[in-house]
Amino acid sequence: MPLLETQGVTVRFGGNTAVNQVSIGAEEGRITGLIGPNGAGKTTLFNTVTGLQKPTEGRVLIDGVDITGMSPAKRAKLGLARTFQQLELFLSLSVRDNVKVAGDILRATTRKRIDLDAETDRILELTGLTDIAGRDVSDIPTGRARVVEVARALMTSPRVLLLDEPASGQTEQETEAFAELLTGLAADGLAICLVEHDLPLVMKLCATIHVLDYGSIIASGSPREVQESPEVIAAYIGTEEVA
Amino acid sequence: MTTFLTFTILGLVLGSVYAIAASGLVLTYNTSGIFNFAHGAQAMLGTFLYWQLSVGWGLPVWLSLLLVVGVFGPLMGLLLHKLIMGALRDTAEVAKIVVTVAVMLGMVYLSQWIWDPVEPRTLTMFFGSDASVEIAGVVVRLHEILCLAVALAIALGLRMLFHRTRVGVVMRGTVDSPDLLRLNGHDPARVAAISWALGSALAVLAGILITPVSGGSLEANALTLLVIDAFAAAMFGRLRNIPPAFVGAMVLGLLGAYVTAYFPSDWTWTGNFRVSLPMILLFIVIVVLPQDRLRGAATRTRERYRVPSVRAAATWGLVLLGIVFLYSLLLADSGITTLGLGMAFAIIALSLTLLTGYAGEMNLAPMSFAAIATVIVFHFGITGSGLDASLNLPGIALAVVATAVVGGLVALPALRLRGLYLALATLAFGALLSNMVLRDTVEHTLAGFTFTLFPDGTLIIPKPRFGPVDLGDPLTFLLVATALFALIALGLAVLRNSGYGRRLAAMKDSPAATAMLGQNLVKLKLSVFMLSAAIAGLGGILMSSAMGSVEGESFGLMASLALVMLVVVGGIGYISGALFGGVMSGIGFTLLVGTFNDLAISQPQAATFFELLGNVVMVGTALVGMGVGKNPSGSVQGIMDGYRSLREARPVLIGGAALVAVLYALALAGLYGSWTFTLLALVVVMALPAVGQKLMPHAVAPVEGHGHSDEIRDDEPFTDTLRDRLDLALGLPARVPGVRAAAPQKGEEVNAPA
Repeated sequence: MPLLETQGVTVRFGGNTAVNQVSIGAEEGRITGLIGPNGAGKTTLFNTVTGLQKPTEGRVLIDGVDITGMSPAKRAKLGLARTFQQLELFLSLSVRDNVKVAGDILRATTRKRIDLDAETDRILELTGLTDIAGRDVSDIPTGRARVVEVARALMTSPRVLLLDEPASGQTEQETEAFAELLTGLAADGLAICLVEHDLPLVMKLCATIHVLDYGSIIASGSPREVQESPEVIAAYIGTEEVA
Repeated sequence: MTTFLTFTILGLVLGSVYAIAASGLVLTYNTSGIFNFAHGAQAMLGTFLYWQLSVGWGLPVWLSLLLVVGVFGPLMGLLLHKLIMGALRDTAEVAKIVVTVAVMLGMVYLSQWIWDPVEPRTLTMFFGSDASVEIAGVVVRLHEILCLAVALAIALGLRMLFHRTRVGVVMRGTVDSPDLLRLNGHDPARVAAISWALGSALAVLAGILITPVSGGSLEANALTLLVIDAFAAAMFGRLRNIPPAFVGAMVLGLLGAYVTAYFPSDWTWTGNFRVSLPMILLFIVIVVLPQDRLRGAATRTRERYRVPSVRAAATWGLVLLGIVFLYSLLLADSGITTLGLGMAFAIIALSLTLLTGYAGEMNLAPMSFAAIATVIVFHFGITGSGLDASLNLPGIALAVVATAVVGGLVALPALRLRGLYLALATLAFGALLSNMVLRDTVEHTLAGFTFTLFPDGTLIIPKPRFGPVDLGDPLTFLLVATALFALIALGLAVLRNSGYGRRLAAMKDSPAATAMLGQNLVKLKLSVFMLSAAIAGLGGILMSSAMGSVEGESFGLMASLALVMLVVVGGIGYISGALFGGVMSGIGFTLLVGTFNDLAISQPQAATFFELLGNVVMVGTALVGMGVGKNPSGSVQGIMDGYRSLREARPVLIGGAALVAVLYALALAGLYGSWTFTLLALVVVMALPAVGQKLMPHAVAPVEGHGHSDEIRDDEPFTDTLRDRLDLALGLPARVPGVRAAAPQKGEEVNAPA
């Protein structure tokens, strides 16, 4: 059974259906891909899963527990963490404090006794941010800022990690290191759901890929199956646009 | 039945004036995204001018109306638009709010300058108060019919404007997507300017119509606040839609009339309840309105604050205590008392540093919490009586804790709110408190207890005494107040560097991301609101005891807004900003204006000149507030930054210090007064960084900027890696996908960030 699951999730804004009857899941130790053209509803789906957006219909479950009506904070307590497509870093904090504050929250809200500084250092090391730990987060390039968001999410010891276009803005080397990081995290048992426009990266990392178009899942399967799906080809060629 | 009809008509008339004012407010908010707190002040200024023209100078009514509503109103709107809009790009909500608050205060000061408040002025009804017709047995004055007709005409006119004219359609689109409008060849700034002109004219019209209906006497503060009541009506339409705002205005007018008509007149709260009604309604409407989704920081703002280190805070605290002590040696007892009052205000200001500077939440009514603590300490914290009376420690502790609890209770319904909505909710609370508690001079009986919250409109608050430490002595009071300020400031520095402080900063920067890390935002906001209320309460008790006797006005909305404005001008993210804002609003006005008035009395030949200076100070302060958009991080830290660059230029620093020391010694020797010393010392302190730059250009290190310090700099050649990065940063996918390993190609065009 998948750790994170959506069951028939539909989100409507007025007359527009942004997400239409989506039922997908993310499993422990696996990286699940979610791709689709711009405006397909990927971010809206993430917002629904994390509680920033109420679904019009459908349910969201973690480990079989219905979390549809829960606040974002409660979901986080159940092990859900995410990054944002439009960076949501804490601009008045340093890189290190951006990560550390996640531990502060953990400590204040769960009475979990963790060695905050040691854990922060471990996460910074793991994500390769040690060299810029002391810098102002507003002063670092976008590619690395995305890694800071991942590091911050990891600090909450999540079971499910949702990544919204984490590689956009990264250099090639950065993306390579990032792919390695994700593979390692998945190997440790984390369920990762990856929204990404860098298709080579998605194909390389993901066991299962779901393709979203106009709010509906048009294909699901292994990278090979998805690539060969006529619907996917049609969707992508049909929506080809000048960047 | 006649009663019902009479009051229904009265309610509708009031409602139509509210509707006129509210539609102006919605218009400006819609096209510029700026909530105009000065709307009421604009109405006030226009009404005063109308009085001047028609009554003062005897111009015909039609000409006065034409000049004020048709010329002055629109011009004032255009000017404000020009002054405000440019400065407010990329600033946080706080700066946006403070700028129009500053405009409002500036207009109130200006009107009191031009029209001496002591002199009574009245505005009579159009067609005279006797001109009336009888409808179904009810006497309706022509003025009242005029109000209804004008409101109706404006409703129809605005509908035509929005649906039938090009400008109107563009106006509707401005807030939703200014970029799209620009692409289509429209100029959003021009549209905004037009709607500011229109909104301003509507405000003036509302002011002229409402004054005769509500008694006829012209008073700057009252008239400004009267139009603020229209905020509640505008909120019915979520500040966006005019038709619901009209409905809201009518509800507001009718409710008010029915409360007057049907509430038991022997019920001791009725009168104050009637006055508070619009603010109660505003609070309720804000709280029940569906809120926007939890958001992150959509725009990057220009404000940046350095985090104070605990050691630095401790050092500065001791330095402050030393400076205040040395300075007090120059002052007479009255001066020392005044400075003590300033310190008390600075403590109240610290509550804003915590709440707004650290946590990003707004409170436009800090003085209300000062008032709550004062009322509690008055009832429960006084030992002894007469000259021997003093405040006791348990009483003060009780008042501070109770203020925190009240603060929490008040904030609780409003905690889902953010930014402007929270600011308006606190404003409503402040006005409500002013009306219900601070004007509560009648005796109530409740469950066998007889009490009055604010007996006789004046509370006598003695000074505290803790064992041998008697704050009745001015110097002791000053030093204790300064020490308390330094201690709380140190506490805030500790807090800001703690996990709690980091969580506050996170919530301020991105509520969405903070919630996603597991933080319950309501709990965090509640805690910081309570803590902030407690600090304001403690400062309020000190303030009241420094003044000796306080009136309701001491805690009024204007006092709160002036404090908020000055703290933001000084720098809301810094303790130095609180010190500046508090001392300025506590003693700046009184002292400066008082000094100039004293000078005017002592030198009658130059009296007008000194009176002018006093007024310039008042209006000038508001002008500084309007400049907040230019320097949103605050001005005091700017000076400090100048000193940071002087670190290496020791001789300049030592020279400056020596100069101040000599000036001080001369003042101590009685060569000149404390004011002269203050001015001279300030000049030296302000000028030193610039002088250092001139004298030792090499030793002065450039100030570290907060610009873009990405790896890409314009002074190094572009390597391929750098160009790749630039492409990525700009979202140009051109080279990147091609370079990557071979893989399916479809959909690569989608590679650009959304």
